[in-house]
Amino acid sequence: MTTILRTPAGWPSIVLARAESLRAQPAMAFDDPSAALDVAVSAGAFEGLRRAVRDLGPTGTIETVAASGLRGRGGAGYPTGEKWRTAALTDAPRRYVVANGYGADPGSLTDRAMIEADPFLVVEGLAIAAIAIGATEAVVAVRASETEAVRRLEGVISAAEEAGFLGPDLLGSGHDLSVTVRPVQGAYMLGEETVLLNALEGRRGQPEQRPPHPAERGLFGMPTVVQNVQTLAAVPFIVREGAEAFTRIGARGAPGTILVQVRGAEREGVAEVPLGTPLREVVALGGEPGRGRTLKAVVVGGPSGGLLPPELLDTPYEFDALRAVGAHIGSGSVIAADDRACILDLARLLTGFCATEACGKTIPCRIGTRRLVEIADRIVDGRPRPTDLQLLADLSADIVASALCDHERLATLPLTTGMRYFRSELDDHLLRSSCPAGVCRPIAVGAGSAR
Amino acid sequence: MSFIPGLGIVKGMALTLRRFFEPKATIRYPEVPADVSPKFRGRLQLLYDEWGTLKCETCFQCAQACPIECIDMGGIDTKGRYHVHWGPPEQYGERREESALRRSGRTVPDKAYEHFEPIDTDRVEAILEDHDHDPKRMLQILEAVQAELGWLPVAALKHISFRTGAYYALIYGTASYYRHLRLDPPGDAVQGRAFDAARPAESTYLSGLGAALEGRGAAAGGGAATAAGVSAPAVH
Repeated sequence: MTTILRTPAGWPSIVLARAESLRAQPAMAFDDPSAALDVAVSAGAFEGLRRAVRDLGPTGTIETVAASGLRGRGGAGYPTGEKWRTAALTDAPRRYVVANGYGADPGSLTDRAMIEADPFLVVEGLAIAAIAIGATEAVVAVRASETEAVRRLEGVISAAEEAGFLGPDLLGSGHDLSVTVRPVQGAYMLGEETVLLNALEGRRGQPEQRPPHPAERGLFGMPTVVQNVQTLAAVPFIVREGAEAFTRIGARGAPGTILVQVRGAEREGVAEVPLGTPLREVVALGGEPGRGRTLKAVVVGGPSGGLLPPELLDTPYEFDALRAVGAHIGSGSVIAADDRACILDLARLLTGFCATEACGKTIPCRIGTRRLVEIADRIVDGRPRPTDLQLLADLSADIVASALCDHERLATLPLTTGMRYFRSELDDHLLRSSCPAGVCRPIAVGAGSAR
Repeated sequence: MSFIPGLGIVKGMALTLRRFFEPKATIRYPEVPADVSPKFRGRLQLLYDEWGTLKCETCFQCAQACPIECIDMGGIDTKGRYHVHWGPPEQYGERREESALRRSGRTVPDKAYEHFEPIDTDRVEAILEDHDHDPKRMLQILEAVQAELGWLPVAALKHISFRTGAYYALIYGTASYYRHLRLDPPGDAVQGRAFDAARPAESTYLSGLGAALEGRGAAAGGGAATAAGVSAPAVH
């Protein structure tokens, strides 16, 4: 079970609203899924689905979700209502809904926490999405190593089918829906939507050119709505309480809450944070840096995240504001690094992971990111070439310009933001052959001389 | 030898003058075909068929027939995969004695050929039956076959390709992409190491992250990220 961090009293809670009360119930050990379902239903589960079927209807549901301004929680922040509308309007014999619970970042457990804490909410959101766009088949993709999440989801789905919330003619709506759980594994890139669709089709996990977006042509060539499990978990609230109630929470351009994996000096865990909260308060959930230490950088967005200096801690934690300063929501991970860490060492590690996990479809990504790691290696080892800094900047720009998917577009961020915000530390490595954190062991050679 | 001034240049110019009046040796190649030996077979190379697999069965008959022993082959490429490279044995790190033994025509036990060994197709067939011979469920089929056989031999992939109708190259692409699927036998010392080296990318990242945050250096926490999967595994 993942740790859920306690948030300040005033913060709203949507996707984890009933997680705590559910966890106290003995039925939630999931030994008997139907008993667990009964408990959850008495706590209000599947109310939203009922309202979507009886009162709103497909078009009404899409309009409500669009009016709420809900944006995808998978990192890119694409408006959910727009995606559903496209999928519903595309003419096709059948449609699919795919819930992405893969949680690719090994350091971030937000998707797993969501599924384990309240799998009913995910399944309910999935059913609402399927009814709204007219999909008859839905897939929940989960990491195969997370056996507990897989077990709970399978339990919820079989119990909900028996109770008539899923399956043929659900809730008397005349709509059929079969939901399957697909455990997938074996590649970091599976978190990307087109890669995941390729994997579900049994093919090599490589991204596809967009447009056409999956909402027009996705799984097996049919319109497919791919949503993160957190996005789907927010849908029942919107349908139940209305779009107005949802827009009151969170930031102006990005309403609602998001799960954040906070890693601080004192604590590590998942917290539900309203979008638009200043980064300072998000970092504070992980505790203060240790005695005599100061905060040096915050890694926002996982392995391809940006390194932000303490001066930018007032940035709202929200899609557009983070993009503007060179970070992104990404996997929802926020890691605080104190002054023991060397920025270059950290950036090299992050970019190195992105390079190792590159799928190899685009050549600038496959080879370019490796060259970036080599440049960082040279700087860390104290034998930089005079042109390395320029090369780093040029190569990063080229990789971003030729990007096919967001992995490639963002893989350069650790190094480029490190270069932008921590220039003095970079200069210490390059010009003075010294590492302020004492991590790297630079060879004492003249400034910028090649080996 | 007596020294006569200017003799060298006279000799040289005499040769030039003689060549100047000789008939020219230029062949107007595309219009006039070159005069080569009738036994000339062009550049030696291994060809692929339309499924992306080698046409060459590596029977070594060509190597045995070659009178000057210039043909030689080895079974492991730089990625430790099964494809066959042609060229001098030094280039693919194979021992000379081994290739000499193979040229002799006797059967040689070789790890590189383990991938090609025939398998009990009934076990694969039962799995295919469970999955309806559906190429859209390729990932599940491959996972089930690996659970049954322990790894994915070429013979199994070819059988799956034959029965489902999916291109062999497509199946091989899927099988070689996912980290949990393995194309080498589990107990293989050489290739097993290459397989395990690529595996712990995630745990390497996590331990490296912990080390980097504590100021121990990311490389100290379980090897640099580059060492895990970027570098090609050593062969032999």
